[in-house]
Amino acid sequence: MIRYAIGRLLAGVAVLWVVATATFGLLRFLPGGPFDKERSLPPEIMRNLARRYALDGTLLEQYVDYLARLAHGDLGPSYKYIGRDVADILRDAVPVSLELGALAFALAVAGGISLGLAAGARRDSLGDRAVGLAALVGVSAPSFVIGAGLILVFGLGLQWLPAGLWEGPLYAVLPACTLAALPLAYATQLTRAQVVAVMEQDYVRTARALGVPEARVRRRHVLRNALLAVMTYFGPLLATLLTGSFVVERIFAVPGMGRFFVTAVTNRDYPLVLGVTLVYGTLIVLANLAVDLLYAWLDPRIRIGNTEK
Amino acid sequence: MAKRGVGVACAALLALACGRAAAPPPRELRINLETEPPTLDWNLATDGVSIIAIEQLMRGLTRLDAELRPQPDLAESWQVSADGRTYTFRLRPGVVWSDGVPLSAQHFVDSWQRLLEPATAAEYAYFLFGVRNARAYNAGKLADFAAVGVHAPDRATLVVELDAPLVYFPALVNFMVTFPLRRDLVQRFGERWTDPGKLVSLGPFVLEEWRHEYRLVLRANERYWAGRPPLDRISAYMVQEGSTALVLFEQGLLDLVKIPALEIRRYANRPEYLRRPLLRGYYYGFNIRKPPFDDARVRRAFALAIDRSQFPELLRGGEQPWPSWIPPGMPDANAELGLGFDPERARALLREAGVDPASLAPVRIVYNSDQTHKLVAEKVQAFWRENLGVRVELENREWKVFLKELTSDPPPVFRLGWGADFPDPDNFMNLFTSYSENNHTGWANPRYDALVQRAAREPEPGERQRLYDQAQRILVEEDVPIVPLFVTAANFAVQPRVRGFRPTAMDLYFFEQVSAE
Repeated sequence: MIRYAIGRLLAGVAVLWVVATATFGLLRFLPGGPFDKERSLPPEIMRNLARRYALDGTLLEQYVDYLARLAHGDLGPSYKYIGRDVADILRDAVPVSLELGALAFALAVAGGISLGLAAGARRDSLGDRAVGLAALVGVSAPSFVIGAGLILVFGLGLQWLPAGLWEGPLYAVLPACTLAALPLAYATQLTRAQVVAVMEQDYVRTARALGVPEARVRRRHVLRNALLAVMTYFGPLLATLLTGSFVVERIFAVPGMGRFFVTAVTNRDYPLVLGVTLVYGTLIVLANLAVDLLYAWLDPRIRIGNTEK
Repeated sequence: MAKRGVGVACAALLALACGRAAAPPPRELRINLETEPPTLDWNLATDGVSIIAIEQLMRGLTRLDAELRPQPDLAESWQVSADGRTYTFRLRPGVVWSDGVPLSAQHFVDSWQRLLEPATAAEYAYFLFGVRNARAYNAGKLADFAAVGVHAPDRATLVVELDAPLVYFPALVNFMVTFPLRRDLVQRFGERWTDPGKLVSLGPFVLEEWRHEYRLVLRANERYWAGRPPLDRISAYMVQEGSTALVLFEQGLLDLVKIPALEIRRYANRPEYLRRPLLRGYYYGFNIRKPPFDDARVRRAFALAIDRSQFPELLRGGEQPWPSWIPPGMPDANAELGLGFDPERARALLREAGVDPASLAPVRIVYNSDQTHKLVAEKVQAFWRENLGVRVELENREWKVFLKELTSDPPPVFRLGWGADFPDPDNFMNLFTSYSENNHTGWANPRYDALVQRAAREPEPGERQRLYDQAQRILVEEDVPIVPLFVTAANFAVQPRVRGFRPTAMDLYFFEQVSAE
């Protein structure tokens, strides 16, 4: 198991290298540079800037330089935020996104699984239909619509919650709900479909026939098996939620890292784009590994690291 | 027990929620900066957000009065030599930095040296390119800063020598990149010298907290030479989404926000509403290398086919139609210049130029992706189609892609804007000289260049107006490489408890006089 995890982690490093290289290359294909602004600058000043940020070498030199720095854990300076390193920027922003993302993840997982289980177990009931409809709305409505709706009702209308800013638990309620809406709805649909499928399995029928109480059937046999498929969705979801959302952070003025996925590109802040991409990539690798390990725990048929011949 | 716990928690939550909006903190101003200031280093700052914070922290040699004329600030007085090339600034006595160090003329020399050093790579170093040898020093062609025309013969005197007379020089030294600097602190802290606890300033406020991408807190400077400001504190939040900022304003969590375009009408008659016309022009440019715009008659025809009076109703942001280039509110602006709306004459000019609208290939308008620019482009498209009978295609680009295209292969027609850096017509007129990096039209007229250069040296106001009128006539009536459309305005919502907020036409705010009870 440990050996397997180490192998996967090493493979993850290779994946990250590929991601870094591809991002580096793609960025330079984008027309327009970090210092192209509404006010064009005299050529001598452009030269000074290129020298300061080591953009005056060939692309290959810049790439080698970048990798060498990366190997030492140096993500380089931001071109937009003068005097700040990408690492500083991420150090400020990542914890905020982690906090908000973890909240939203917990909401989505807990809500999605319980609603999906409840709906799937009472197939075609009124409750099932209501949950189905709500989930459909949740997966279809974009987060800016949900966010605006929540602000309208709970911020402007009822005046219960602040419409933005990041000052404490109260301020996290609306953004976390907005961020969780889509994955919660999707997890509900996914869980329900799995539950419906599993409920028809022979082993469920057998368990019931043997007189196992319904609650126990659902917990031990239905839920556990239904979750296997749903779990696959949770890995990438966790990585996505933890790295923040541009839309949600913008609507609620949350100082997380989600904004940089967009603004760093529009600013052509190459090191910052690479920085956020690498953070996201790392989280994807780790989350997928965690899911695979969880699989083994949930499903006795899967034996990780088993070198059976 | 558990139920009671939930009840208590709910009550606490409600109390928190209600208590929060109730009483705004006294003597604290909560504003919206919209985005993170890229830097507080005034040598390196270039953007409209950084300048808001920097203008509270720092002061320059001069400051602009309500009519945008430079008045003494850190300089108590100044003299200009008979040939107009040497300025001698006498510093105000008794000014100290927030750490107690007295201001010295050397702090200006240090700042200007750092601004111009090639290694600093300051984007706005060119603001001082009029100073003797400054450009050569910035380009690395001159190693010895002693040859650059700025000196401090004693603690209270700053002498500046210019390459050629610049009558607007006192307005230029009101700009943030020229503010004095403590080289000792920059050396001690390196790039971190602008962090809270390290940044030393001499304006009405000092930096207390900087939570990146979230909030900047400024505190009253007890050592400010003109006396401590009425506000204790300014909390500047970075709420990017304009509609969220407005909701926070309505919830009483912010005191001062800009109103998004769509909401302006709703606010127009409310006491919280404040509109300020800006020295910011919006124009359409032609690439005069691309037919049919290589013919001045065609450019004039396209200009005459635009009905500017329709833009205010379309955009609703307080835009003012303006047919010439120097914006209203700037000295030497002239409402009489420029081509008005005259479709008859436009069609006649097109015929005269031998252009048949029906057989003309579609004209391409390129703009950067943005709702306002799109509305304007669609309107112009309609004007040209209806009044000239030409086909018009619209294309939008992401901002940086658009900028790249402007500098490499400018489209036949493009939109751009320009906001004043300093309140002198030169800041606008210089843009379309043949040697300006910001002239993307490909147009060059030696007569225009000569007029703009002469005006920059002309101290007599009447004569200056005459020179600029002549130059503007070439720019917007004869050669017409650009069509100025309108000037823009800033629209604010201000809580009634805030008094004394007077933004300038350059979109600068000075919170020194502001109070909030």
